[in-house]
Amino acid sequence: MTDSKGRLPAISRRDLLRTAGAAGAAALVPDAVTAATEETPSTAAAGERQLGTALPSETGPLLTRALANLTARETEILSAMVDRLIPSDELGPGALDAGVLRFIDRVLSESGTNAADAYRSGLAALDTYSRYTRGGPFIDLSTVDQDSVLIDVQIGAATGAGVGFVGGSGSFFNMVKSHTWQGMFGDPEYGGNVNFVGWDLLDYPGVRLGVSPEDQRALEADQLEPVRRSAYDYGIFE
Amino acid sequence: MGAALLLTGAAVTGLRGQAPTTFVVESPTMTTGRFMPRDYSPDGRNLSPPLTWSGLPAGTRQVAVISQDFGAGRPPPWVHWIIYNIPGDAGGLPEGIPFDPDHPMPAEIAGAVQGNNGWGLPAYRGPAPPLGSVHNYHFAVFALDEALDLPPGLDRGELLLAIEGHVIGQGDMVPLYERQPMNQFPR
Amino acid sequence: MTTQLRGTDVVIVGMGAAGGVAALPLAEAGLNVVGLEAGTWLDQRDFAPDEIRNNYRDWPMLVKKTEQERPTSRATSATRANQIGGHPMMNAVGGTTLHYWAQSWRLNPWDFRVVTETTQRYGASRIPRGSTVEDWPFEYDELEPYYDRVEREVGISGQAGNVRGRINSRGNRFEGPRERDFPMPPLRWTGFHDRMADAARSLGWNPFPGPAAVNSQAYQNRPGCGYHGFCNKGGCPINAKNATHITTIPRAVDTGNLKVVTRAHVTTLEVDSDGRVTGVNYVVGSNEYFQPARVVLVASYTYENVRMLLLSKSRAYPDGLSNNQGQVGRHYFSHHQGAGVSAFFPYDLNSWYGLPAQGVAVDDWADDNFDHADLDFIGGGNLWVMSDRRPISAANMGTYGQSRNWGSTWKRFIHEHSDRTHGSYIQKTTLPYEDNYLDLDPEVTDPLGLPVIRITGQFKDNERAIAGFMQDKMEDWYREAGAIEVNRGGLGNTMGASTHAYGGTRMGDNPETNVVDRWGFSHEAPNLGVLGASVMGTSGARNPTLTSQALSWRTAAHLVESWGDIAE
Repeated sequence: MTDSKGRLPAISRRDLLRTAGAAGAAALVPDAVTAATEETPSTAAAGERQLGTALPSETGPLLTRALANLTARETEILSAMVDRLIPSDELGPGALDAGVLRFIDRVLSESGTNAADAYRSGLAALDTYSRYTRGGPFIDLSTVDQDSVLIDVQIGAATGAGVGFVGGSGSFFNMVKSHTWQGMFGDPEYGGNVNFVGWDLLDYPGVRLGVSPEDQRALEADQLEPVRRSAYDYGIFE
Repeated sequence: MGAALLLTGAAVTGLRGQAPTTFVVESPTMTTGRFMPRDYSPDGRNLSPPLTWSGLPAGTRQVAVISQDFGAGRPPPWVHWIIYNIPGDAGGLPEGIPFDPDHPMPAEIAGAVQGNNGWGLPAYRGPAPPLGSVHNYHFAVFALDEALDLPPGLDRGELLLAIEGHVIGQGDMVPLYERQPMNQFPR
Repeated sequence: MTTQLRGTDVVIVGMGAAGGVAALPLAEAGLNVVGLEAGTWLDQRDFAPDEIRNNYRDWPMLVKKTEQERPTSRATSATRANQIGGHPMMNAVGGTTLHYWAQSWRLNPWDFRVVTETTQRYGASRIPRGSTVEDWPFEYDELEPYYDRVEREVGISGQAGNVRGRINSRGNRFEGPRERDFPMPPLRWTGFHDRMADAARSLGWNPFPGPAAVNSQAYQNRPGCGYHGFCNKGGCPINAKNATHITTIPRAVDTGNLKVVTRAHVTTLEVDSDGRVTGVNYVVGSNEYFQPARVVLVASYTYENVRMLLLSKSRAYPDGLSNNQGQVGRHYFSHHQGAGVSAFFPYDLNSWYGLPAQGVAVDDWADDNFDHADLDFIGGGNLWVMSDRRPISAANMGTYGQSRNWGSTWKRFIHEHSDRTHGSYIQKTTLPYEDNYLDLDPEVTDPLGLPVIRITGQFKDNERAIAGFMQDKMEDWYREAGAIEVNRGGLGNTMGASTHAYGGTRMGDNPETNVVDRWGFSHEAPNLGVLGASVMGTSGARNPTLTSQALSWRTAAHLVESWGDIAE
């Protein structure tokens, strides 16, 4: 099941639920999450804040524990959204594999209530918008419809639907995209860019403290081996 | 709606300076002067609507379509959709043209490409007027005397410039749209 | 209760670029100097090559006084001022030199004589309407020895273009004559720099490597630059970027005559009944202090210099210290007009390693280096191609219409093109105008309840005309090097808070239109000196740091020579 680097294949949680069949899915999904998906949107806001609910590992060894700052349901929606922003595909791992959810969770832990509230209200609005306009919860839509939803959220068209985007759907999209990019392409110290998959996607040759003229020439000849180190692996920074 | 109103600010002349002929543009799901279904807007699935046209002048080689709102944009119009290099014998556009370049064009309009709308996207993005206001959405169809095979990603100004002198026929339809406040429960 | 401290000869408010330089000649001359700095000492351990921390979380600072006193800005006095964006400067020993881009330019001779040169060549009517520009009270030659001194004390690398009148085409043929070469050769070029230099020569221009406050080789027991790529808004982990906290300040401390006090937030200056400055008030946390001094030099960057004077009201100066002529805050101008140009290339630029100070410059279109007879503006700009790229910002590049900026198509796009875009911001001549000024905001205050600075400023027709002209030149240059797409920013409108902010305490002989005299001392309070870009009357196509440091050294040297007269 795991690949040569010890990672599970990149399949979305939704696919996992579908292919496993209802009974199989129930076996994988803890009760709290099942209960969450049966709720109507009008009671979602009442906040079933079931933090610490365990989620099955889905795209790698990363999501073996719940996010500290989002409910299981919120995590599902965020996961589906992030998966569309930078998908796993034939080109290679995507944002979920890179640990972007873990990165975002740490951001929320450090930033306090305003950031967490922005995520909660935005994810709820995203899901409400999906139900109202595309006929189903975001996580159940086809990838084409999910992309269509996200385009409308990005350009602010979802704002006028009255689904509850605070400050406009575009600012929610930009917040998630900005965190996703930092989580994908930032230093692994922050929990993302796992196994340097983000830097590999860009062909970024890595953090070095000194780049000699020979290194630069090698880079220009496509012969410079990437250095896979966090800045903090050098042991001299605080 | 006259061609002059459709092409405010842009002088589009046909072959040898003659005024283009007009032809009929219709849709199985939309009518000029009536509200279009919400699935052609971000209040629904935001699919590109189907169009049909007939009576294009002889010699039509390619067709271009612009969907625009003269009641929005600074300056107007706000552009919702640009699609061109449509084969001259296509007869129309099917519903739901892909917005993702990875997904191919339907066979009946093979070769068509999309230009950049007001949001900078090479796709259809439907009406999203302010709540409480009714807007008109002009679907302008141009019959061209040459297979210009223009590059993708042109905006409205660039497209109009490129088809200048090649428009031998024009048609349009103008459905309306008004956003509704959302229903509190999922459908 | 305010603690009265023992008096000192000189207080310098701010140990950044300007204050950090002035401290050295004063301490070496044996004067007792107290350097008050709102920030703290930082060192290499604080300077990890970490893009999230440096560029997205706005950098580590133990005291972030600047963030709490962000200026408001508005285009004209008819519009409302808003606080937008973060403050661009930082508080620390070394100030913003800790993380600045370290481009380190001298002004050209023309910049000291804009009025005379323009009038002689094109006629007085070519001075833009509404501009309050004046010639400087001295010319380039007067400042040359101080440029030379600071280039050696701080450590500037570069290639001379004019040594005593002899032109070297490997350097800037348009520069003012220098006594001698730079203390270090220039930073190296990448293959892309070579390509851009070749393209410039094809256009008939004169490309040369830019001067940098960065070691190109070992200098003063610090290593040469590592080109690691995190210099932009990042501190240097190997001490190759020549900030004042590792150059002039420690040497001044070593004389035993400079005492640096950190976390010291200076609020106001005190004066006596004769209008002479007697010392400064500062707070450390909740403790209040008064530091008496015989001479006070304010060096807290343009906005704070002006603010401190305006807040220091007294009977002798009811409108603010040294402001009886109403010139404090006047003749303000800045860069960061936003009129940049970006380009998309069909080949990799290999820019992952490098720094903003490493680059190819073209001065053919700066100042009056070209004929303006048929143009509708005066002045010009410096074209600059640097090497600067980090992963997150590379992944945020525009897609030039090839893809929306996320999804699978985008992923293929970025995999192919992450190293293929380039941006330039183009420093241009900006002039002072009657309408552009700094004052105290009537509503917004800092946590101490003191009003912040309000910027009233707009880029005028002259600046916008220069911007359009320079964008044309930059586009020509990019396309000559093979760019397949070029985008331009807008031509500029409202002035926001900038790291290149000039004026507000202008230097000049006329006390009716200038705050400080030709030596940097107040026309009204003779023992008050001002250091920094706030004394500059023109900008040239240059960032202000080296010039403000040369002026600081000169002011300090003058103070030493004239101590008896100024300190009384």
